[in-house]
Amino acid sequence: MVDLHWASMSELARMIATKTVSPVEVVRAHLDRIASLDGQLRAYITVCEDAALQAARAAEAAVVSGQPLGPLHGVPYALKDLYDTAGVRTTGGSRILAERVPARDATVAQRLGAAGAILLGKLNMAEFAYGPEGLNPHYGHARNPWDGGVHRLAGGSSSGAGAAVAAGLAAGALGSDTGGSIRIPASLCGITGLKPTYGRVSRAGVLPLAWSLDHVGPMTRTAVDCALMLGAMAGYDAADASSSVLPVPDYVAALTGEIKGLRVGLLGGVFLDGAAPGVRAAVRAAAATLASAGAAVDEVRLERTDLVAAAATAIVGAEALAYHGEWLRTRAAEYDPAIARRLRVGAFIGGAQYVRAQRVRALVREDVDAALARRDVLLAPGTPIAAPALDERQPMLGDGPADVRAALIRFTRPFNLSGHPACAVPCGFTAAGLPIGMQLVGRPFDEVTVLRAADAFQRLTDFHARRPVLA
Amino acid sequence: MTADTVDLDTLRRVACLAGFAWTDTELDDLRPLVEETQHLLRALDTVPLGDAEPVTQYRAV
Repeated sequence: MVDLHWASMSELARMIATKTVSPVEVVRAHLDRIASLDGQLRAYITVCEDAALQAARAAEAAVVSGQPLGPLHGVPYALKDLYDTAGVRTTGGSRILAERVPARDATVAQRLGAAGAILLGKLNMAEFAYGPEGLNPHYGHARNPWDGGVHRLAGGSSSGAGAAVAAGLAAGALGSDTGGSIRIPASLCGITGLKPTYGRVSRAGVLPLAWSLDHVGPMTRTAVDCALMLGAMAGYDAADASSSVLPVPDYVAALTGEIKGLRVGLLGGVFLDGAAPGVRAAVRAAAATLASAGAAVDEVRLERTDLVAAAATAIVGAEALAYHGEWLRTRAAEYDPAIARRLRVGAFIGGAQYVRAQRVRALVREDVDAALARRDVLLAPGTPIAAPALDERQPMLGDGPADVRAALIRFTRPFNLSGHPACAVPCGFTAAGLPIGMQLVGRPFDEVTVLRAADAFQRLTDFHARRPVLA
Repeated sequence: MTADTVDLDTLRRVACLAGFAWTDTELDDLRPLVEETQHLLRALDTVPLGDAEPVTQYRAV
């Protein structure tokens, strides 16, 4: 039998439904793994041991009595600690909300629970999701499981989710992505992470960083599991005005492995020139792999990437200040000083600058739409570098050194502005044994094609199946 | 003061208008980041936006 902590969500669901394993065994295996490894990984802020075991016993009883089972029945997962959970504290990785206990679940937590998933706990993250490194001085920095003795960034802001899923401390997790916070840790930790189309998944009950850029999505070890989680939580929610009424397709059924004739646009320009040589080579090799399976690959450029940093800075700065303004007046000392400093800068961004940035966003979106007009997906690196050391401030990119924060969000942020779905997928390893991630970007609400391409790639390669060695 | 430099008095007045009572030390600490941000945002001023409207989401059809 497979180690239960390494089994995928879809394997676990199947084994539970066929009574091959009990949900209690599965949850216990994950809790044991957390107990033995989380002291070094710091992936969790709160572990819900008693509630998870109680839910597992109820799930076991439902299997035994022959009740109808949801698609994730008995499968354990974890939430980035910015999803509201009834009766379980939701800190946002902050001291300010350290004792905050919501009265109700976020919509996605409700939906995953209704599908049978069992919550293991709440995951570490950058304070209030404001940082792609994923560092957190309040709860300790989540550590990349692949660091091999050097303490490396898990990537953020969903750093605990990246570390937990990569290390077998959760079968799957939910992250959130404002500038890359699902795809960056997925790339650095060697897992699969999907940022769905803006509006595909409800944000109700999720602490915001920047409302108009925040996306909710799954982080798992396979594209199949992303499809499974997405199917369970996507769809209209009256509690989120931005959620779409479009019907939710059967994502798992769409994963046929067939990509013959799929039109793939390899993003050139800064997306290749700006990546470290090893990352560039891995992504080019991935394009060749897709072509070998029948995909038609060509190279394409986005023309407005030069505007992305300015537009995103104005939008995130202004929206984050709007959310944090009162705490900055009354509880500033409780923030990490570096986060407080970044938040305060939002006070100097003018209303006209903010609106101009939102107008620029329309151009960025048109640019991505144009690249996809005659292609089904776009292919690019997830991050320009593999996981940097915790104290590395100026990593070397393909086109010179860069500030680590700017480097990490360089390739992901355009698709937060544009709203297109984008999935990070492991596509190689550096000479030092660190994961390399690529991203597949699709048309709005066409997560089916993105996931089909990601799954087909995973049927052709084993990068997603490799595991870090942990003491 | 050049286009990309911001003096302390300006920071003080803008912060005050926004409702923040930050000390001169705090504002001085922010100054490099504010200047860097304003320099970055100038890129937005040169973009021909035509009739582009602010857009944040895809509308369902």
